[in-house]
Amino acid sequence: MAELRRDPIVGRWVIIDTDHPSGPEDFEKEPLAFRGGDCPFCYGNEATTPPEIEVIRDPATESNKPGWLVRVVANKFPALQIEGALERRGLGLYDMSNGIGAHEIIVQTPYHHKELSDLEDYEVENVIKMYCRRMADLYKDTRFKYILLFKNYGPASGASLEHPHTQLIALPMIPKNVQEELDGAFKYFDYRERCIFCDINRQELQEKERIVFESKYFLAFCPYVSRFPFEVWLVPKKHQDAFCQMTHEQILELAKMLKETLQRIKDVLLHPAYNFIIHTSPINTEHREGYHWHIELMPKLTRVAGFEWGTGFYIVPTPPELAAKYLRGEK
Amino acid sequence: MPELRKDPIIGRWVIVSTERAKKPDHFISASEGPQEGECPFCEGRESHTPPEISALRKQGEKNKPGWQIRVVPSIAPFLRIEGELDRRGHGMYDIMNGIGAHEVVIETPRHISNIADLPAEQISDILTVYRERLIDLERDSRFKYVLIFKNYGWSAGSGRLKHSRSQLIATPVTPKRVKEELVGARQYFEYHERCIFCDIIRQELEQKERVVLDLNGFLAIAPFASRFPFEVWILPKKHSSDYAHSDPAHRIDLAKVLKLVLQKLKIGLNDPAYNYIIHTAPFRRQKLGYWKTIDQDYHWHIEIIPRLTRVAGFEWGTGFYICPLAPEEAGKFLREVKV
Repeated sequence: MAELRRDPIVGRWVIIDTDHPSGPEDFEKEPLAFRGGDCPFCYGNEATTPPEIEVIRDPATESNKPGWLVRVVANKFPALQIEGALERRGLGLYDMSNGIGAHEIIVQTPYHHKELSDLEDYEVENVIKMYCRRMADLYKDTRFKYILLFKNYGPASGASLEHPHTQLIALPMIPKNVQEELDGAFKYFDYRERCIFCDINRQELQEKERIVFESKYFLAFCPYVSRFPFEVWLVPKKHQDAFCQMTHEQILELAKMLKETLQRIKDVLLHPAYNFIIHTSPINTEHREGYHWHIELMPKLTRVAGFEWGTGFYIVPTPPELAAKYLRGEK
Repeated sequence: MPELRKDPIIGRWVIVSTERAKKPDHFISASEGPQEGECPFCEGRESHTPPEISALRKQGEKNKPGWQIRVVPSIAPFLRIEGELDRRGHGMYDIMNGIGAHEVVIETPRHISNIADLPAEQISDILTVYRERLIDLERDSRFKYVLIFKNYGWSAGSGRLKHSRSQLIATPVTPKRVKEELVGARQYFEYHERCIFCDIIRQELEQKERVVLDLNGFLAIAPFASRFPFEVWILPKKHSSDYAHSDPAHRIDLAKVLKLVLQKLKIGLNDPAYNYIIHTAPFRRQKLGYWKTIDQDYHWHIEIIPRLTRVAGFEWGTGFYICPLAPEEAGKFLREVKV
């Protein structure tokens, strides 16, 4: 009999197939073929992107020329635009607003074929440092309430460009999914005076079966209420509100952990498409206790169908306990 | 400048791109998906499915040829019908056993894949079977909701088999996504004392630009806050909360509208994959006293989503959708597709 599990934070139910659990070989994946062609993010093509916003580069080289390690540019086709004041209005019974926001691309490496897991530790550190720098910089713009950092890798993940990059979107409102998560965490904290993520860490460490691996500062586990097969969360062990609050030591360790997690996913699932999303506290709003930043990583192995759209339920063919076993290398 | 639009019912924001706007022909889909194997849903292969729950047949015995529409339990059910509902805790987590019903409505004895290619009379019969299954499952007090939906095409989540069918899943809880919509409609009603869907219909008929079809008492629109390019909703113009108890005389009219809209998608966008979902009121049993005003505040409808874009990290992270085509353009394009 399948199991229904409820996410303790947002209250979403998922259906876990414990009867016929799927292993890594049971998923039909879209092949990760490289299309090649001219790439705006490769060395020498800096002029084809908007000018760089921030960069880590050899000090002997010029802006918008080769010689960089990590480069941040505005998205040429932004979903939102940075100029202008926020304007909300009604249209009959409908509400609308203009699309104010920032949409940036963090080009992780000059190498077209080097994914995060293929980079050296120090290179991944640079990428994470850049995430922190961009977030800290955008915090200063008081129009923004939330900054989302996410990565789409492979066509099935929705990525349209293959050169390894991460996207950043700064929004003038707290998005619905984030608000639900915040509300869930605050409600839990108000009643118990404990952080729900700290409690999850505690239960996971006790039960062990969903843990992929751990280090001094972070825990990698397959969440009890995974929405996708082989979903992995990276959570700081000690309570911490926001991604930007990481210490230098934590950043170094996160770089290793992220790289290691992606490598394990790549090995077990034979190079799947994936998304990851950094979940962190909102900005320029009243501070409330009870939220705990983390990274959610979702390999794209299944297709979302009518049932998921209609209900908000998810069907998970691989129980997280089994996924963790594979990712620990025990199967 | 891109536009942010808010869904008035559940409060979800959608970004309608203008800068990265694509022309309708950008979305014309390419064929895809693996080859299919032998089909267990064709006439003559009845023994390859679990025994039928019900069937519409002119002749022949149960589980034998001679049927028009056949309802069978899913071969690979997400949820199972046998057993008692058992809820429990696991540390801080909640868990429940997987009780439910998962049925497949086989829509034709012939190996036709798109319901749009069936005659309107056959579609009308399919719509009647949906209704009968809803009424039957309502008798089972373990269930709170039945979702009726269709996955057509590989990227819509359909399997290898192409035989036209829809699915029906009865769940022991009212799903989150459904509850959000119901709560949104109720809140609007509490304040305005009007049905939000009726108000939407009124505004769409006035503005016209998002109307795809207005025919036989049904309205097909590209909704104001579409999540996906060419998303279409079909609503009965006359208020009605519950699909199962809607006027049976209107089923042939609905069948004609559904067929026309799906044909327009097929012709205009080169047979894209799509999902459709019937949004209807949950089962409401007197003793629980839930959803007291639902007959007035909710309005059943069908949502059709062609699968032309992919949901990426941004959508997962925020619940925002980026719709690369303005619904006004989609409305115009679909109005003009000749069937």
